[in-house]
Amino acid sequence: MSRLLEVENLKVYYYLPQGVVKAVDDVSFTLDKGEILGVAGESGSGKSTLALALAGLIRPPGRIVSGRILFNGLDLTKLSEGEWRKIRGKRISLIFQDPNTYLNPVYATGFQVAEVYEAHRGGRIARYMDLVKDLFRKVKIADPERRVYSYPHQMSGGMKQRVLISMAIAEKPDLIIADEPTSALDVTIQAEIIELLRNIIKETGSTLIIISHDLALLLEIANRIMIMYAGKVVEVGNADEIARDPLHPYTRMLLETLRYERKKRLRAIPGSIPSLINPPSGCRFHPRCPARLPHCDRIEPKPLWEKGRVVACHLYGG
Amino acid sequence: MEGNVELLNRLEEARRKRLLEIWEVFKSNRVALIALAIVTVTVALSIAGPHIAPRDPYDFDLSRARKPPSPEYPLGLDEMGRDILSRLIVGARYTVGISVFSVVLGASVGSLLGLISGYKGGLWDAVIQRVNDILLAFPTILLAIALVAFIGQGVHSLVVAIAISSMPIYVRLVRASVLQVVVEDYVVAAKLLGLSSWRVMLKHVLPNAISPAIVQATYHMGLAILIASALGFLGLGVPPPTPEWGAMIGSGRTYLFSSPHIVLFPGLAIAITIISFNILGDTLRDALDPRSRALLRRF
Amino acid sequence: MSLLSYLFFRGLQSLLTFIGAILIVFVIVRVLPGDPARLIAGPEALEEDVERIRVQLGLNKPLYEQFIDYISSVARGDLGRSIKYGTPVLNEIIARLPYTLALALVAETIAVAIAIPLGVVAAIRPRSVLSSIVSVLAVLGSSFPIFWTGLILIFIFAVKLRVLPSSGAESPQHLILPAVTLAFFLTGNLARITRAAVMEALASNHVVTAIAKGLSPGKVLTRHVLRNALIPILTIINIQLGSLLGGAIITETVFAWPGIGSLLVDSLFYRDYPLAQGIIMFIVGAFILLNLVTDILYALVDPRVREILWRVT
Repeated sequence: MSRLLEVENLKVYYYLPQGVVKAVDDVSFTLDKGEILGVAGESGSGKSTLALALAGLIRPPGRIVSGRILFNGLDLTKLSEGEWRKIRGKRISLIFQDPNTYLNPVYATGFQVAEVYEAHRGGRIARYMDLVKDLFRKVKIADPERRVYSYPHQMSGGMKQRVLISMAIAEKPDLIIADEPTSALDVTIQAEIIELLRNIIKETGSTLIIISHDLALLLEIANRIMIMYAGKVVEVGNADEIARDPLHPYTRMLLETLRYERKKRLRAIPGSIPSLINPPSGCRFHPRCPARLPHCDRIEPKPLWEKGRVVACHLYGG
Repeated sequence: MEGNVELLNRLEEARRKRLLEIWEVFKSNRVALIALAIVTVTVALSIAGPHIAPRDPYDFDLSRARKPPSPEYPLGLDEMGRDILSRLIVGARYTVGISVFSVVLGASVGSLLGLISGYKGGLWDAVIQRVNDILLAFPTILLAIALVAFIGQGVHSLVVAIAISSMPIYVRLVRASVLQVVVEDYVVAAKLLGLSSWRVMLKHVLPNAISPAIVQATYHMGLAILIASALGFLGLGVPPPTPEWGAMIGSGRTYLFSSPHIVLFPGLAIAITIISFNILGDTLRDALDPRSRALLRRF
Repeated sequence: MSLLSYLFFRGLQSLLTFIGAILIVFVIVRVLPGDPARLIAGPEALEEDVERIRVQLGLNKPLYEQFIDYISSVARGDLGRSIKYGTPVLNEIIARLPYTLALALVAETIAVAIAIPLGVVAAIRPRSVLSSIVSVLAVLGSSFPIFWTGLILIFIFAVKLRVLPSSGAESPQHLILPAVTLAFFLTGNLARITRAAVMEALASNHVVTAIAKGLSPGKVLTRHVLRNALIPILTIINIQLGSLLGGAIITETVFAWPGIGSLLVDSLFYRDYPLAQGIIMFIVGAFILLNLVTDILYALVDPRVREILWRVT
């Protein structure tokens, strides 16, 4: 198993007039080739910022403050914009969550997909339209010959999401990052899209990082799951194992809400998402944690190995 | 049933809180406060002008015509020997007072029509929209000129002209807003409660659909003042010797070379008033638009 | 729908609107408190003269007949006859139209040439001096009454400095002050809207997608930012058309510029109602046509528009 990605102590902060938002605060994880890693967390957990950082899309007032991102040995944090342009779309690509706003309404969808080829191979867009038709076929868009000339407003949400997916797989990238790829879609369509993603990953052999607040979804598709909370990683491990035996109290509560949902009773985790400007002291989860120990509000837990997983919680040492 | 009533009550509370929030935005912005002060002063002048003016704005004396500013006459005298300061003070009611009144009139009628058009739909909508489109086919000032010219001189024609030429924008604006509001839960709730159409329209739809119209109205005041003063400048509108600010510029323009103060001061008055109204509109829009307050994007 | 069918339906709509506008002007003019025939004949005229004029102008026929007559004559290009000049209204308009066109075109060109680049740069550098200039310019330009700016410019350049002429249209220099006056009115607002439009386009999500594809910054800017920003900019130019025409009327009066605007104002003073009515009709017709053109441009840029015939905002 070759290592594709190594993230070491990554810190991404946003410098706003209200204060410094520590969106990603000392995050480390690894990713092997061919894996599907699910990143779970509520909004405000920092997962979207992580996605942007992995694609070099952090812009002022945001900044990568410290840490390294090693992609096949290459340190992404040190790349120039020109170098990034060769990587984006070709070796690392993104699938965004809202196909309605992430597609330009004034151009045909096929045109926008063909832009990926144009960006990396040069030449005129027209000559790539056949390739785009093949891509549309691959992502199961009906009537691809015509659809490449359709505008976004003439397509359904699910179809537009397939367009975004086709954009991401066009140049057969090593790493695909999908940020909430199904959140804007109907539940029935969600299942189709996830199925599509799974098949495509299998076919192309790409590595996928899929980000979602929907843990159930991740448990379906991911090999490994990483749980984030308030900018920190709280648990990382094999998906089935986490589902069977969650270690971190937050993970446990997330799974509980799922179970209750399936029994058609809603139960939320008490408390609210902490501010990222003034996060709680010590362990960030301590205000809402049912298993809180006396020193949880003073000392930050360090991530350690436990039962083949990484966990950051005082219950296991930390 | 209880749930619906409670929902409506909570919304009323939220609305009141919003109004307080808006006031907060104003208090924190010094420029906005100055603008608000200026606007209040001019509106007050429109009402109380004649009582405050130091001299009779119509009292002319050709022997002292066109005298420049002096301690006795702070803004100087116009081409007929009348005190410019007094004329400005009294003239406020024509330039500003009439404009504000007419815009409010036009905006109210227009908003009501937009409300009916958007809420009732169907034939009402079709007819109102078509007539509105035709009115919008006229450049605003042209419509005002045509109306004033053919109705005749006088305050009444000025009011009608500005009101009618302002109206169409509100019809469109409010209609668009109503179409969005009408599908929201609290309106559906109100309808389900069995409230009469008019009650739903006026009490629940209108207050929530009206904010773009209010912002537009504050901007519109500035435009209305421009139109009113332009009509005065052209000699249409109020008859001489009414001290309408635009008319003052119009009659004083022949003496631009020798006595520029006759043209300068009324123009300054117009400009400052319009700027103040525009700043007011900007501040109001910033206060009412939640998007500009949310600088933090999702993380 | 396709561009062509949109063009057809929009064109039809414009025509209907024009007829409606004629109706409104017709109503306004006929609602005169006063007898046009008597006003034209003059206070000393004999009763039979007034009656003769009334028949001549067709004022004795029922209103709807008068309306039909008027529409058919407009269709033929006959806008009536000027009382003061005795010549057909259309001829008078055509004689002076080039002046108004020159003024409007030059002013709009100046405004666009200054405002749009200013707005784009101010959007890219939002906290710069340039951005503040845009804000100040916008406020001043839209708050100063056009006739006042014109007079100020006359005072500075014609009276004190004596470098530019202040009235009439004998030479190209005569166009400068009127055009600058009109342009000043338009520039500020246009720059401000451009800045807002470009800023909004820059913050759009589809720009993120474009960057994520690996597109060069140049292509991102032209294809995904500017073209999208063009939509609200076209809207504002469309809206400003009204100000352009109205502003031209006032500017022509201030500078005694011999265009149809000053002709209109004069005709109102001389109570030359046929001439006034004809000019109003002409300007409205031109305005409707220009709106049609911008709508077509709009549909060219934004394919979503081709589905909507009735503009919502």
